Amino acid sequence: MTGIDAILYHNGFGMAAVGITIVFTALVVLSLVISQLHKLLIIWDDRETYINKACRFFSVLKPKGGLVPKKAKKESKAAYVINIKESSRQFSILIQSIGEPFSLPELIRIAESLGIERPYSTVSHLIAGNLIIPDQKGFFLWNHEAYNSLSRRS
Amino acid sequence: MEMFIDFFSNTGFALADYRNVIMLCIGALFIYLGIARHYEPLLLVPIGFGILLGNIPVFKGLGLSIYEPNSVLHYLYFGVTQGIYPPLIFMGIGAMTDFSTLLARPVLMLLGAAAQTGIFLTFLGALALGFAPNEAASIGIIGGADGPTAIFLTAKLAKNLIGPIAVAAYSYMALVPVIQPPIMRLLTTRKERLIKMEEPRQVSKRERLIFPIIAVLLCCYIAPAALPLLGLLFMGNLLKEAVVTERLAQAARTSVIDTVTILLGMTVGASTQADVFLTGKSIGIFVLGALSFCVATASGLIFAKIMNLFLKQKINPLLGAAGVSAVPDSARVVQMVGQAEDPTNFLLMHAMAPNVSGVIGSAVGAGILWSFLVG
Repeated sequence: MTGIDAILYHNGFGMAAVGITIVFTALVVLSLVISQLHKLLIIWDDRETYINKACRFFSVLKPKGGLVPKKAKKESKAAYVINIKESSRQFSILIQSIGEPFSLPELIRIAESLGIERPYSTVSHLIAGNLIIPDQKGFFLWNHEAYNSLSRRS
Repeated sequence: MEMFIDFFSNTGFALADYRNVIMLCIGALFIYLGIARHYEPLLLVPIGFGILLGNIPVFKGLGLSIYEPNSVLHYLYFGVTQGIYPPLIFMGIGAMTDFSTLLARPVLMLLGAAAQTGIFLTFLGALALGFAPNEAASIGIIGGADGPTAIFLTAKLAKNLIGPIAVAAYSYMALVPVIQPPIMRLLTTRKERLIKMEEPRQVSKRERLIFPIIAVLLCCYIAPAALPLLGLLFMGNLLKEAVVTERLAQAARTSVIDTVTILLGMTVGASTQADVFLTGKSIGIFVLGALSFCVATASGLIFAKIMNLFLKQKINPLLGAAGVSAVPDSARVVQMVGQAEDPTNFLLMHAMAPNVSGVIGSAVGAGILWSFLVG
């Protein structure tokens, strides 16, 4: 059997239509989820604020005990600033010793070997804070100006 | 003298016929294309050499042929017929792949889905030409432009066609730089080819870590039959992104994938014995495979143009051609065609998004066809 008859006999049109629909469904669902992923992560990072908002909205749970009040949030931000200053100081010394320009994997490897805590996220924060900047040739440089202004802020 | 004549009658020279000679020429051509032209050398050289091995006529009963149950080649071929090698290759691919561009611009994933239309249209074409449904599905999957996926599905549905389908799939993958550009130029205007893509956003390490877990759960819950391929693809990727498992990721992307590629290429090549390979069906498979590949490319391009009707920030429709999952060749071709129009237009990084989503799409497509037709 050949031609349209063969396709109809084997329910080919049905299989093809369902097949392509499932492929699209899988990839559309996946793309929708991953398009929201970074937003979900931002919410997760700031979850205390959202929990407090939710508590206030429902007025059922008063934020106390385990929940972090707004003041504490400010404190954690302050702690973060102190941490980033401390981290930048450590990495400034480290980069001086390895020289510029430097590669990120090399920097992280040395930081790890020296026992610096969470080198990946620290380097990520330093990049976000413009303290580590790309040299447009695949390597990175230490932003001395940004570091000096951060130091002066203390 | 009688002993000499007896010995001569058992040599390859006496047992060979013209079909063996044709296959030896094809094997030599593969080796030439791989070494001299650099067309997918890591695949074409082992396959080409395997074709030479498979077409040395041997005396039946000595346990030499790949189709004799007690032969060494037969044991190595077990990984192909049972679908073991393709998922291992997927693990290596996962350990090599950076999904950042996909995470930065998830909408490009739809191009990977659109290109899979070629699989299902060719499935219909093969049914219309009189192939059985399981054979038609195995032929259609060539349009996915993913050798391991094609071998995996064929091993599950139509073991007798593994040789021709694997050779067709890998040949067309190797010929991506020849097949795709004319279709790309035909279906896009110069203005469209000049579109520059905006810089993708930075993707955090946490996103890259979470992605393989979400992707495997979502895809395999929707299409469970894609589990062997996608399961190992995303495990390989998690090993890479986790950093603490760098040793395992390193093994997956080097020794494991290299070993499996050698075994797979060589045994697939050896399975193309002239009497099994040179049949009318094989010619049909090659014609339909080429058609499938062209339809897949065209589907991706046309879908990209349709997307542009709705998107504020237009995408370069050439990216649609990277939806076929020949990683990274079709992405390279997109870059090449884009740069032919404007040398300052860099599309490679953007093309990797539909390219890797094409890998996911073709594995899902294979899983669906398998679940429809198994048994």
